[in-house]
Order: sequence, then C-alpha cells, then structure tokens
Amino acid sequence: MNMSLLDGRDGRKIIGDLAKYYSLRQEQPSAKSFGIYDTFDWRLFEKSLVLYSSEDELILHRLSDYKIVHHAKVSSFPNFVWDFPDGSLKTLLAPILEMRRLLKLAEIHSQSTIYRILNKEQKTVVRLRYEEIRRVNQARKPMFCAHLHVEPIRGYPRYYRKTIGRLGKLGFVQIEPETIYFEALKERNKTPGKYSSKLKLQLQPEMRSDEAAKIILRSLFRIMKVNGTYIGKDLDTEFLHDFRVAIRRTRVALSQIKGVFPVDTTKKFQREFAMVGKLSNELRDLDVYLLKENAYKKMLPDSLRDEINPLFEFLKNKRSRVLEDVKNGLSSRESTKVFRTWENFLDEPPEGSPTAPNAEVPVVKLARKRIRKRYTEILSTGAQILEAANDEKLHALRIECKKLRYLMEFFSSLFPDKKISILIKELKGLQDNLGNFNDLYVQQAYLLKTVDELPLSDDQAKKMTLAIGSLIGNLEERTQMVKGSFSEIFARFASPTHRGLYHELFVTTKGKAGP
Amino acid sequence: MKILAIYSNKGGVGKTTAAVNLSFLAAEAGLKTLVCDLDPQSSASYYFRVKPKLRANAKGFHKGGKNINKSIKGTDYENLDILPADFTHRNLASTFNKLKRRKRRLNRILDPLRAEYNLIVLDCPPSISLLAENIFNVADYLLVPVIPTTLCLRTHLQLLSFLKKKKYDTNKVYAFFSLVDRRKKMHKEFIATISREFKGTLHKSIPSLSNIERMGINREPVPAFSPTSQAAKYYRVLWQDVKATLLD
Ligand SMILES: Nc1ncnc2c1ncn2[C@@H]1O[C@H](COP(=O)(O)OP(=O)(O)O)[C@@H](O)[C@H]1O
Ligand SMILES: [Mg+2]
Repeated sequence: MNMSLLDGRDGRKIIGDLAKYYSLRQEQPSAKSFGIYDTFDWRLFEKSLVLYSSEDELILHRLSDYKIVHHAKVSSFPNFVWDFPDGSLKTLLAPILEMRRLLKLAEIHSQSTIYRILNKEQKTVVRLRYEEIRRVNQARKPMFCAHLHVEPIRGYPRYYRKTIGRLGKLGFVQIEPETIYFEALKERNKTPGKYSSKLKLQLQPEMRSDEAAKIILRSLFRIMKVNGTYIGKDLDTEFLHDFRVAIRRTRVALSQIKGVFPVDTTKKFQREFAMVGKLSNELRDLDVYLLKENAYKKMLPDSLRDEINPLFEFLKNKRSRVLEDVKNGLSSRESTKVFRTWENFLDEPPEGSPTAPNAEVPVVKLARKRIRKRYTEILSTGAQILEAANDEKLHALRIECKKLRYLMEFFSSLFPDKKISILIKELKGLQDNLGNFNDLYVQQAYLLKTVDELPLSDDQAKKMTLAIGSLIGNLEERTQMVKGSFSEIFARFASPTHRGLYHELFVTTKGKAGP
Repeated sequence: MKILAIYSNKGGVGKTTAAVNLSFLAAEAGLKTLVCDLDPQSSASYYFRVKPKLRANAKGFHKGGKNINKSIKGTDYENLDILPADFTHRNLASTFNKLKRRKRRLNRILDPLRAEYNLIVLDCPPSISLLAENIFNVADYLLVPVIPTTLCLRTHLQLLSFLKKKKYDTNKVYAFFSLVDRRKKMHKEFIATISREFKGTLHKSIPSLSNIERMGINREPVPAFSPTSQAAKYYRVLWQDVKATLLD
C-alpha cells in the first residue's frame, strides 16, 4: 500500500508517533538517484511501462501497480534497444522501442528510511518505507513529494490493517503506486503520452471544409515543428521520419482536399513543401539503409558477413555530411520563409466570403466525395494489375493507396469508429504488401548504385561484389514472394464485404452524400 | 525448485544452525526460500522469532494445501519465509502412519509450494523414523553435519547403510564438518581421512565459534547480525559450495 502526506504535515514525526502504539525500529536512511526514461513518443508509457535507471541497474516497472517486470545490470546506459545486454528485458523491449532512443525525462533523488514495527518477540510484523523525493540531490532542499510504502509481512495481516488505520488517522492518505512517476514528470512540465505521431483529430460533419482543412493542417504543422527542432540534434532517425511524414501528409491534404483554398495559394504551398521535403530525401534513404545493417547481415552467409562492413562505413560517413546539408537546408532563409508564411496562412481567420468552390461545403460531404474517388481509382488500377502484373502499375497503386490512407485518417472522426477502423486496417494490409514490394525493389537498385561509389581495393571489391550479389539474390527472392501474394491481399481488400462498407460509409449514408 | 534437507539422526550437531544460516544466505542471493521447521523443539522458529502454533489439535499440516499456506510467515528478511514448527509435528510420524502412502506424505504436503519457492530447506529432527523416510523421499539432497569424532562418524556410516538397505539413492547425501575445533589435532586428521574416503563430502567445514553460539541470544542468522564476522564468512563459503554442488 502506498500513502502520501496531507499537505503541511511532517512525515517523520507522524511515523515517530507510531512508537506510542508499537515497538518501532528505525534503520539507517539510504539515498538513491533514479533517471526516468522513455522515448520521445512515449512508447513505454503507451504500453503502461516505466523504465528507471539507477547507477548500473535498469528497472522496468509496470505502471498499473508498479510491480517490477524486469531488471538488468548494465555497464553504461543503453540508449537504444540494440545496446541492451541480451536477455529477456531486451527481448521484451525490442518490438516496443524499435529504433527510438531512450531519453531521460526526469531525475529524482530519493531518500528513504525503513521503519519496522515489531511484536512482543521483537519480530518484524510490518515494514514501512518512508521516502522523500527531491529534484536535487541534497537533503536540505525542499522535496516535491513524500511517500510511505506500507509493506505487509506474510502471516501478520492484523498488524498491517491496524497500522494502515492508524496512519490514516495521523494524516497519511492512500495513493496509487504510480503517483511518483506522474509527479516527477509534472515537476518537469512533461505530460506522458502528449506527443504522438498519430493524428488525433476531432472534426464536426457540418463544419466548413476550409476550416476542417485548416484544423488538419495545423495539427500536421505542430508535428512538423516539434520534430523539426530535434532533427539537428540527431538523437534518432524518427524525428526526421515523423517530420517528413507530416510534410507528405500536408502535401496530400493540399492536393486531395480540393477546392477549399484559392488555387494560387494551394499551388504555391504544394510547390514549397515539395521543395522542403526533397531536402532530406537522401538523409532518409541513408537512415533506412543504416537501420537495416543487422537485417542485411542476417541475410548473408557467415563467410560474407563482414565483407559488407565497408558499405556501412561508407554510408555512415556519407550520412554525417548529408546531415549537415539537411541542417543547413532546413534553417536556410527559403525554408524558414516557407514555414513562416505557412504558419501565417494557417492562423488567418476564415474568409467571410468563400474564396474557393468547396470552402463552405460541409466537410463530411467533401470527405466522402474525395475518398470515393480514390477508392474507385484503386479498384480499377488493382483490377488491371490482376490482369497483367506490371511493376509501374504496382508503384502507382502504392501512391494511390497512400493518398486514400491519409484521407481516411484525416477524416476518420466523421465516420463510425469501428467501421472506418476496419477499412483502414484492410488498406494497411494492402499498403504493407505494396510497400514491401517497393522497398525491396528500391533496395536492389540502391545497392547496385552505391557499390560503384565505394572506394575499395581490388580484393575488397571482389568480396563486396559477392556479398552484394548474395544480398540482391536474397532481396529478389523476397520481392517475388511479396509480388506473389498481391492478388490474394488485393482480393481481400476488394471483397464484397469491404466494398459494402465503403458504400455504406462514403456513398449512401443518410442519403446525404452528393454525387 | 530444490528441496534441501538438513538432516542427521544425532542431535546437537548444528543442523538448525546450518538451516537458518544457509536459508538466510540463499534468500540474500535472491532465491525465494522457505525454511520448514519440522522439529517439534522449534529452534528454527525461535531463531526467526516466530512463535509456533499452540493449537493442541491442529489438523492442518499433514493435509497440506490451504492450511499450510496460512501457517507460513514472512521472516524479517526479504525472500525468506518460514513454516513454523506446529505442535502437531510432535506426532507427525504417528499421523503419517495411519494414512495411505505413508512414506510420501511430505511430498503431498510440500508439492503445492513448489511453484512459489526456489528453495525449500527442511530443518529436521534427529530420527530414523517414518518422518525420516518421508524426508528422504521428498528431498533432492540431504545435507548432513558431521562433527569430526569417532562417534559421529559411526552414526553417519549407520545412516548410509540404512539408506542403502532401504534402496534410497545415497548419492544425494552430502556431509560437511560441523563444530570443528581447529585446535584439536585429532579433528584435523579426521577430516583429512574422511574427505579422502567419502565422495559425498563438501570440502568445507564450520568451526566452533562463539559468534555462532550467540545466535541463540540475538535470535538472528549470523550473517544478519554480524555480516563480516569469521562465522558469517564460513557460512558464506559453505553456501557457495552448496549452491555450486547442489543447486546449479
Ligand atoms: N559452529 C558452531 N559453533 C558454536 N556453536 C555451535 C555451532 N554450531 C552449533 N552450535 C551450537 O550447538 C548447539 C546445537 O546446535 P543446533 O544447530 O541446534 O543442532 P541440531 O539442530 O543439530 O540439534 C546450539 O546451541 C548451537 O548454538
Ligand atoms: Mg535442531
């Protein structure tokens, strides 16, 4: 049981008062400092987990009851999951953290004293741990919270109940075990779960379309800004990734939510965001390949595994140069101006008189129309591919799917939650297939192109050619497999059930949807 | 999960002392540990300051199950629980005698606890009765304190031949020397000969030390009240040996 002090009371004194009722023994106080860690996008918190580190120890708690799920010894703090020592903690965290870096969110300094309540035999029957928590490591400094953990001892339940009762009367109140976590973060002005790269929009169906579009775009701009400030710090690859996705979504919003802003304005920003997006294309490619280092090595036979190292060395070196270019590019006068004019545009109040044909249309109507359009197109392209498989068409289909996906995500709050979730999930299945196909295809080309740029000795070059050859063989095999499963996945996507759902949501609803 | 019985058919050889200190060290090393005080004299319970139940006619223990869960008490130390000597233990052997599968009653009693603990240490009373056979059946290892004297050695040989006769696996018997007087030349010679002749011998011994005797006054394991003493060191070494030989 965890308790906390009512304001203004002196915890030590209250515990001392217990000595009137029980034989009480106080042990030497002990001090410990902890760092609280999570990724920037709160991946541990989202899974109800908390990671603490203290000296050489990592402790993973479950947030709901603060039970320790795992702990491990480390020689230095592991920033990424691949830096963890092999073991169950690493296995558990790998799919959660993926490529994200663990950031220290807060540091807390705890001073705790154990008090034991003894029975007539001088046997411990209840253990109390009184803990004062401070932001700085000095006992004199004010604390930001004090906690009392009351631990029952097996076989002595009556003492436990009575102690809790007494403490309640003396000024302690029961609290949830995870309170320390939230208080420590609040102290640092951090709100768990606040940032997520997912859009969480709440639109009203009858809202003007231009207003709705601005809500969507503002939300994307926030994601862009937040991540943009971290790209240069190079903490992990996902700041750039989320930044780029927000730009891509912005471009899709501008092109797909048609006719809500003046044509010139739309065209101008589309052009400008294309420019800003392009600045980091190469950096993102490098990130993708560097993240694949281990996966690639696993594809290679043992004998060739190390021969590929020069490739990654080369990519790493190249990346540091390219990162500098990106930093400069994003802070250049042109880019800054794009962001500034965009922000101004987003902040402008809606025009009184419409400046574009769809500006005043209820957003739900426009949303249905746009989604319908994309969906029909996907069905027809997909059908063509089924007739005659064609790499270019697959590529086109992937782009169309992405547009549809973004549109459905922008507008999901306008439609029944369960139903649109099913459609998004099916679409995601199709996108994964197309995305894998594209990735594998692009990777092969990239590897072939890059191997020519590598400065290698003849001997190295021979072995590298072997390794790359082996990799490409492997990738090609996978490409064919992915391609082979397209028809089945597409059939699912385009099944009568799903078509019916699309029809229900985006065509017939309440008879209101326009042509 | 391992069950380790500290056993001898002689009294006063250091069984309880070893049971208390070894189980403390096991718990300290992170093993969830339970000491079972099977001796009606309840010395182990006494060392952990737990009062044995005075219920004259408690039916609980021999049935196991829920009753036993209720009797378990947490000690003052993390990971360490005790099943105190219940006064019904006094008649445990005769109770078992009336039941079916009477030589395996203790298995039935302890089986439900296997999931909860990593180690169960049995502090046994000195006897070769039916209770002893129950102990031989349930324990993974018997750890026998032997005082290096002719008499004690004879007792140990008797135990081994008893076990052989009853077809118990004598490989699970390990002896260690207890209450060794390091000044006595005779003790030293004894230890040397015996260690040569028996394979089941831990080459560690516990000397006779005043700090160990003080446990009776302090009512705590030696490593708890005097973690850096010689006495604590000897038990740590013995524990390391037990762990490496029997538990890993
Ligand atoms: N190594 C030792 N040094 C000094 N005294 C010991 C030692 N081992 C046991 N004793 C004392 O000998 C007595 C009997 O020990 P105990 O462990 O109760 O034996 P058992 O359980 O075999 O009957 C106790 O008073 C105990 O304090
Ligand atoms: Mg004893």
